[in-house]
Amino acid sequence: MAKLNDILSPFTAWKHVVREPVTIKDPLNREAADRYRGFHKNDISECIGCGTCESICQNAAIDLVPVEGVDTKDGDSGLRPRVDYGRCCWCGLCVDVCTTNSLSLSNEYTWVDEDPDSFRFVPGAENKSWDNREKGYKKPGNGYELYNPKREAMEELEPEKRDQSFIEIVQGYSKEQAEQEADRCVECGICVATCPAHMGIPEYIKAIRNDDLNEGLRVLYDTNPLPEICGRICTHKCETVCSVGHHGDPLSIRWLKRYIADQNPAEEYKKILNTENLQPTGKKVAIIGSGPSGLSAAHYLALMGYQCTIYEKLPAAGGMMRFGIPEYRLPYEQLDKDINYILSLGVEIKYNVTIGKDITLEELHNQYDAVFSGTGLHMGRSTRVPGTDHPKVYQAVDLLRDIVLGKEVPVEENIVVIGGGNVAMDITRSLARLQKQKYGKVGVLATSLESEDIMPADREEVIEAREENAVIDPGWGPVEIETEGDKLKGLHVVKCVSVFDENRRFAPKFDEEQKKFFPADMVVESIGQGMDLSYLPEAFKEQLDMDQRGRILVNDDFQTSAGWLFAGGDIIQGPDVIHGIANGHKAAMGIDKYLSEK
Amino acid sequence: MQTIIENLQKHFQVVSYHQQRENLGFLIASKEVAVGLITHLRDYEGFAHLVLLTAVDWIEDEHFQLTYLLHHPEKKVDLGVRVMISRENPEMYSIHHLWEQARTYQRELREMFGINFPGSPDVDKPFILEGWEEIPPYRRDFDTKEYSEKTYFPRPGRETHDPAEYMKKKLYPNE
Ligand SMILES: Cc1cc2nc3c(=O)[nH]c(=O)nc-3n(C[C@H](O)[C@H](O)[C@H](O)COP(=O)(O)OP(=O)(O)OC[C@H]3O[C@@H](n4cnc5c(N)ncnc54)[C@H](O)[C@@H]3O)c2cc1C
Ligand code: SF4
Ligand code: SF4
Repeated sequence: MAKLNDILSPFTAWKHVVREPVTIKDPLNREAADRYRGFHKNDISECIGCGTCESICQNAAIDLVPVEGVDTKDGDSGLRPRVDYGRCCWCGLCVDVCTTNSLSLSNEYTWVDEDPDSFRFVPGAENKSWDNREKGYKKPGNGYELYNPKREAMEELEPEKRDQSFIEIVQGYSKEQAEQEADRCVECGICVATCPAHMGIPEYIKAIRNDDLNEGLRVLYDTNPLPEICGRICTHKCETVCSVGHHGDPLSIRWLKRYIADQNPAEEYKKILNTENLQPTGKKVAIIGSGPSGLSAAHYLALMGYQCTIYEKLPAAGGMMRFGIPEYRLPYEQLDKDINYILSLGVEIKYNVTIGKDITLEELHNQYDAVFSGTGLHMGRSTRVPGTDHPKVYQAVDLLRDIVLGKEVPVEENIVVIGGGNVAMDITRSLARLQKQKYGKVGVLATSLESEDIMPADREEVIEAREENAVIDPGWGPVEIETEGDKLKGLHVVKCVSVFDENRRFAPKFDEEQKKFFPADMVVESIGQGMDLSYLPEAFKEQLDMDQRGRILVNDDFQTSAGWLFAGGDIIQGPDVIHGIANGHKAAMGIDKYLSEK
Repeated sequence: MQTIIENLQKHFQVVSYHQQRENLGFLIASKEVAVGLITHLRDYEGFAHLVLLTAVDWIEDEHFQLTYLLHHPEKKVDLGVRVMISRENPEMYSIHHLWEQARTYQRELREMFGINFPGSPDVDKPFILEGWEEIPPYRRDFDTKEYSEKTYFPRPGRETHDPAEYMKKKLYPNE
């Protein structure tokens, strides 16, 4: 039986009705302490929507949502964090981890509203009274990062040890170094969109962290069948958008890729990648050129069971990866490791066969179900200044190719290179090595239209070239190569004051008053390469969709208007290895689609 | 501060001493000497006030670190006494007889870290958690996120996006 008290007590509570409440209105309307952690602020123009705040929040209080007026683009997902204050405990971890330092907490902590949903909003995108408040909690400066902002340093050969030979400069990470470096990754995946092949970057970095390098290799081969190569020489656009790079060094994505490839022995690739038994379709594809685009197309086609034959003009495979990029950046052994694996899938290469000369395109069309062309850019462009027709004026790509072919290469004591891109640095540094071998000293100077700050070559290439005693003197326009009979005297230049006009179009302007003369016995031009499409018969070319500049037009599948002909690599997009790889992959899928529908 | 430490070292084995600021230092003492040392600091050196007692879980090193922060009201200096106790047998001698409020700290540590202080009044009584069945929540192997996800239901209307997936959808949907 209920006690009388139990029944009465609810009524005794009534006596409290007239009492003052225990909770009182803040009579002073006091501001919180300076570093109090109140409602969030976010500078949404700095924020890149990496979602690291969301991942760290132990209360799952943050969602990443699209925000009006914020576009998705390279390096920015277009998403912004929305905080659910029903769950937030104001720990401030999201602020501590924010990669751009855009997120902070104001010291505002009082806010009354009857609608619970208003306590869920996107800081910075929905105006709040505390948005401009200085006080509150910010990430405490240096030394408090939750991840290491410093990149694991890479061992390199000293200039004195490398300037006479073509041995590889970059040494590669040890296990400890790779794991330390991988540990800095916040796994946001912002980089994936920027990589032309959209590689699974966070996944393979995670595989390093988990010390599961077989899994790492599988992730690499999903989108890139040349990881030893890309792990060394990729233009690593991904690293330019790495969220960790906003306040620290970006992840060393390229070297981490190399680490995975280096650690997996070639003999085990087929087992790891599960490619020991491929199901043949009975269909055949011809590929012109064994550069990265051709090799990539062959690889993915072979996986799908197509019989691929690559026709290659030169006596070895790899295209510009072998005949352009010098050995000190990409050793042949590593190049061959990637290529031999592709060949082991049943891909055949016919060397020393030039399409358009030894075999016609028409013949390929008749013998195969589809054709992929990745013939690249191999014809050096000339500045066409007076004197360029002299026999002592050379093209960088020709010399680089001859070095690889083991041909006798002209190496004079004083050489001038015209060009400021990576190819110019490659020939400059290669010639410096050959001069050192031949004369015991270096006498090569490279000059470009672009001034130092806008030189297209990678910064480290310029630094390393100088370390090897080459002279880089940028910001000059070539006027004339002075010659005397069969002798070359040197290059006359004038100051280049600007390279592009207001519309970013190439329109160099010069100051004719400022002149210079670079004495030389030999000049090498390295101002870009053009394509040689002479293997396309004239009548065929007329039917093919091409743009005004003579480029073949392709659809999203890298298919030309001829249907059976696909094209990719430098002749379509780039120019770099990873675009070639991505194009080859897409073309392979396009060919599969085309042949399955046929 | 330095004289206090030198004095202390005559009586007790102090493993290390680190002066963080002019008026703040930390020393490490073994579990066995700690209570004696703290008593000495209170009764002979003038550290009359226990500011706080707290713990850190150094899970990788397999121990908990207890910190007794003591204040000297006349000299206006603070001294932290750190004691490492094994994670496997997380037990420490009680100091509730030195400061009444220590029992509250010890109750908290018992609940949040699972560190026991035998003899401390009410040490086993729930402190702020009610009906807690998981491992103590301040232990580093407690998965806060997993717990909050299974315990607190999201309000309807929430949705989130993975940055990489979302960028693919926006920038290269056909690849
Ligand atoms: C010196 C130099 C350095 C470079 N450094 C880098 C770098 O560090 N990182 C980077 O990413 N990229 C670099 N590049 C660019 C990169 O090498 C190219 O973008 C890439 O190799 C292009 O690939 P591709 O498949 O289009 O063709 P290519 O690599 O150019 O290969 C085309 C192949 O087709 C063959 N071929 C052409 N015509 C015919 C025909 N009619 N019949 C049969 N075979 C034919 C050629 O012999 C060649 O083997 C560099 C280029 C050069 C020149
Ligand atoms: S303050 Fe803490 S709980 Fe609140 S959103 Fe940030 S990380 Fe989550
Ligand atoms: S961590 Fe910072 S930059 Fe990344 S989404 Fe959150 S607020 Fe934006």
